[in-house]
Amino acid sequence: MVNYLIRRLLIGFVTLAMITFVIFGLIRNMPGTPLTMDLAETDPSRQISPDELERLEKIYGLDKHWSVAYVQWLGNLMKLDFGRSFREKRPVSTVIGERIGPTLVLSATSLVLAYLLAVPLGLYTTARGGKTDERVTSTLLYMLYSVPSFVTALLLLNLFYVRLEGTPFQLPLGGMTSMNYEELSGFGKLWDRFLHMLLPVACATYGSLAYYSRFVKSNMEEVIRQDYIRTARAKGVPPFQVLVRHAFRNTLIPFVTLIGLTLPGLLSGFVILESVFTWQGMGLLFLDSITNRDYPTIMGLTLMFSVLTLAGQLIADILYAFVDPRVTYS
Amino acid sequence: MSNASLQPATVAPASPGFIAESWRRFRRRKLASLAFCFVVALTLVAIFSPAIAGTKPVVCKYQGGIYFPALSYFNPRWENEIFFRDGFRQRYVENLKEKDPNSWAIWPLVYQDPYRRVREGEWPGHPGNASYAPPNRRNLFGTNHPGVDVFAQMVHGTRIALLVGFVSTGIAALIGLTVGALAGYLGGKLDMLLSRVIEMVMCIPALVLILALLAVLDTPTIWHLMAVLGLTGWTSIARLTRAEFLKLRQTEYVAAARALGAGRLRIMFRHILPNSLAPVLVPISFGIAAAILIESGLSFLGFGAPPPNPSWGTLLNAGRANLQMWWLILFPGLAVFLTVLAYNLIGEGIQEATDPKLRQGRK
Repeated sequence: MVNYLIRRLLIGFVTLAMITFVIFGLIRNMPGTPLTMDLAETDPSRQISPDELERLEKIYGLDKHWSVAYVQWLGNLMKLDFGRSFREKRPVSTVIGERIGPTLVLSATSLVLAYLLAVPLGLYTTARGGKTDERVTSTLLYMLYSVPSFVTALLLLNLFYVRLEGTPFQLPLGGMTSMNYEELSGFGKLWDRFLHMLLPVACATYGSLAYYSRFVKSNMEEVIRQDYIRTARAKGVPPFQVLVRHAFRNTLIPFVTLIGLTLPGLLSGFVILESVFTWQGMGLLFLDSITNRDYPTIMGLTLMFSVLTLAGQLIADILYAFVDPRVTYS
Repeated sequence: MSNASLQPATVAPASPGFIAESWRRFRRRKLASLAFCFVVALTLVAIFSPAIAGTKPVVCKYQGGIYFPALSYFNPRWENEIFFRDGFRQRYVENLKEKDPNSWAIWPLVYQDPYRRVREGEWPGHPGNASYAPPNRRNLFGTNHPGVDVFAQMVHGTRIALLVGFVSTGIAALIGLTVGALAGYLGGKLDMLLSRVIEMVMCIPALVLILALLAVLDTPTIWHLMAVLGLTGWTSIARLTRAEFLKLRQTEYVAAARALGAGRLRIMFRHILPNSLAPVLVPISFGIAAAILIESGLSFLGFGAPPPNPSWGTLLNAGRANLQMWWLILFPGLAVFLTVLAYNLIGEGIQEATDPKLRQGRK
């Protein structure tokens, strides 16, 4: 097992190096540089002269070929230096660090909600398989899964922000806190945050809820037809116990992989939703840094998402061996 | 004695093939069949989009020749150059009458253009599109800010949505199934290598890759977008296929096939693949839906199908800036929703129709 772990970690590092290399090459070959993107916004009278541009390019390391710059970036990474954000003029680690919290709050809440609701829903639909209420529930879940979250977000905003304007039910347009957040009392602050989270969390949750419960159900349907389930039923085990102890336990293997695979989504998944609700998380930061060609920030975020994905897969594989004695790593 | 009497008295009827049998079972499922009809209808809308909404005649006779100017909605180059030479400037109604009194034309059902605003008097009795008009008799789904008809944009946007779903998932399934099958069945060093490749592609945040690739290309088209979606979206299919193959290669029937001398490729694609296809069809069906979702999401963010392609997501993008214009949100949102739903239902229908294990239980 230890050997296996060491091997996986080594391969992980190689994988990381290759991913960052590809992405680094791609983003450096995008048209426009952080300097010219900035110029596009400022007025013509403040245009930088070619000499000045050259000087700035030297400072930011844009004068070198991208492969040289990549090696430099890697070298700095070894010293845990992610570089400085072009746009914010601050270290990338600080810029990203500030955004982890908001994204984590949003994604962890919605993930926990989704899992808590999905397992009972999946078991319920399996138990009632083929009956009218199961068909209705399953169909509704498919429908929910198919509604794009940004469409829901827009429709909910149209309802709660535009149509209910002036009523006590009006919800904020976006952001994480109100303008007068600082003046609110302790409970008021909490309530304010809650109100701001309501729509984003709702939009982020319903899709994965539908997906997970469908996942549970489709796995359960395979297991429920096995002979040992019939045996368990025949010897008089109560239906609920058959469902949970005998059947659900045996669907855990794919479920475990799913947890590992959703881990990276925890932090990177909400690019569109964060952009709709101007939620100051990593997804929005990523989108902004792409449009601004803020290379160090893009690279920092890419590295982070990749590490998370690799970690998620490793955890999934280890859990795999944990829950299924047939799988061994030796 | 004739040869005939040697034949058995009764010949057992040929049992229907796997596909015919599955199709029969698929059709028995009402929702899935309905979804299939919806996709067929949508395909028809996509094919006949220039005849449903447009400002160019479907067929016209002009100076002795028969032309099909509406085809230029598929490809601008298909517009006959005679119309450029005669300076039509996309205004067919007045120019046809003016330049050739003997001309005739068959017009689309709705005189609206997905790319530009219809002006007053362009069509006899047409008052012209207002900017931000709510749904009305002339603009069934309203208009957007420049006064372009939303209905026309949605009809023409159907083409993009369907193509994106089909092509990108086709690419993804082809790569995913091959890689997954090879890694899962052959195992060993190859599995190690392919698993690393899967991990690598999975780790590249799809959005980074899509945005970076689209930005690097000088003139990204919808085809580039499809290729990128296909090249990034195959990993879940590959992983599931690999897991299935890992499981199935230990089974008795595979051992039996091997004992009978079946070759590797034969076992992989003839014996294991059909049995592993059912679980893999779930990610494929969701894959089509996801591709349509991502395309509309990218257009929604302003990164998608480059203008002036009318895409459902582009309309939603306009709706985001104008939250009170519900028609810019509801109609394209509904279109994306129904298409994605249809593909999900079809996928589920296929799964239940082809999976022998599910079949036994639900005769």
